[in-house]
Amino acid sequence: MKKKLKPKITVFHCINAINNCESLPIPYKDTFKLKSVKMACSSMVKDAFLLRAFEAGSDAVIVFVCPEGQCRYVEGNIRAKNRVNWVKNLLDEIEIGGRRLSIHNIANGDTEAAVRIIRQVLADINELGPNPARH
Amino acid sequence: MIVGKQKPIAEIKEIISPYKKVLVLGCGTCVKTCFAGGEDEVATLSSALRLSCKKEGKDIYIEELTVERQCEDEFIREAAIAISKNSAVLSLACGAGVQAIARRFGDVPVLPGVNTTFIGVLEKQGLFTEECLGCGDCKLAAFGGICPVTRCAKKLQNGPCGGSQNGICEVNPDTECAWQQIITRLGNLGQLDNLKKYNPPKDWRPSHAGGPRKLVREDHFI
Ligand code: SF4
Ligand code: SF4
Repeated sequence: MKKKLKPKITVFHCINAINNCESLPIPYKDTFKLKSVKMACSSMVKDAFLLRAFEAGSDAVIVFVCPEGQCRYVEGNIRAKNRVNWVKNLLDEIEIGGRRLSIHNIANGDTEAAVRIIRQVLADINELGPNPARH
Repeated sequence: MIVGKQKPIAEIKEIISPYKKVLVLGCGTCVKTCFAGGEDEVATLSSALRLSCKKEGKDIYIEELTVERQCEDEFIREAAIAISKNSAVLSLACGAGVQAIARRFGDVPVLPGVNTTFIGVLEKQGLFTEECLGCGDCKLAAFGGICPVTRCAKKLQNGPCGGSQNGICEVNPDTECAWQQIITRLGNLGQLDNLKKYNPPKDWRPSHAGGPRKLVREDHFI
């Protein structure tokens, strides 16, 4: 019988939104894998980086950005949102599923919101199943 | 610059399907500027293709490379080693780039990943507009620098058709009337007299209607 894989999530986050995702107090931490990628600004997220996270076996990818109008570099979070939407369409086109990628505005240091979102994404993975390109 | 649009992934997958090792080859000039075939688009497309093939259990190796220009031999040469290691090249350059690669590397299939669309400008971030059909006999001087051959849906040479409304073309409500623009611009330049001059029917022989064109500069031959 095939061994059940632990769900894997990659979080790209602007350090001005959340400084450290690895230390977030998420319950049942040993039941999933979380990889975090820190960015000085969410505008550093590129289409290819998001896809590479799926290539590396992520079942879902989350992008945390600052609230609109509060980007330290003016429009980084708007650029990130546009790119995420573009890649969501691409993921639908290749039938990996755009729902596996999401972007969220987080007020500086709102760890509670970050934990809530990650838990929701874990629940979504449960429903969606593993990344179909993860073998 | 040349403006192009990447083909849908399904079509790209179909044309690369006979091959197991594919080089996705970008071009760092025109198609990079219009987000169809530069380094970033090569990386994104390659990743998407790998994911899609993996999902379907298809075995494929995809290599990525971008050269400065695919239409110049000097730059094309840089791709020689990567091309020799793969069974096909998916070029993300314009049609000229695809053919230049095919001409230089006679024994490898070179496939187009981009639909070459037009000669245009970057009007604003993310918006590209067609400005020139490459007619081979430029008459922009008479039209205040606005091309009726390209931008008037009816290619009219001697004034508007009369169908435009509020400066919008009657053929396509997304397009401004080129003749409205020409008249406004000639007015601003104090050159409205240009409109009294008759422009004879366009001679299409210097255009593509005369077959593929060549530009010869003997002074640059070596
Ligand atoms: S190959 Fe095409 S896209 Fe690339 S530089 Fe030449 S004309 Fe531009
Ligand atoms: S007149 Fe011909 S060459 Fe000049 S801009 Fe128009 S299509 Fe291009």
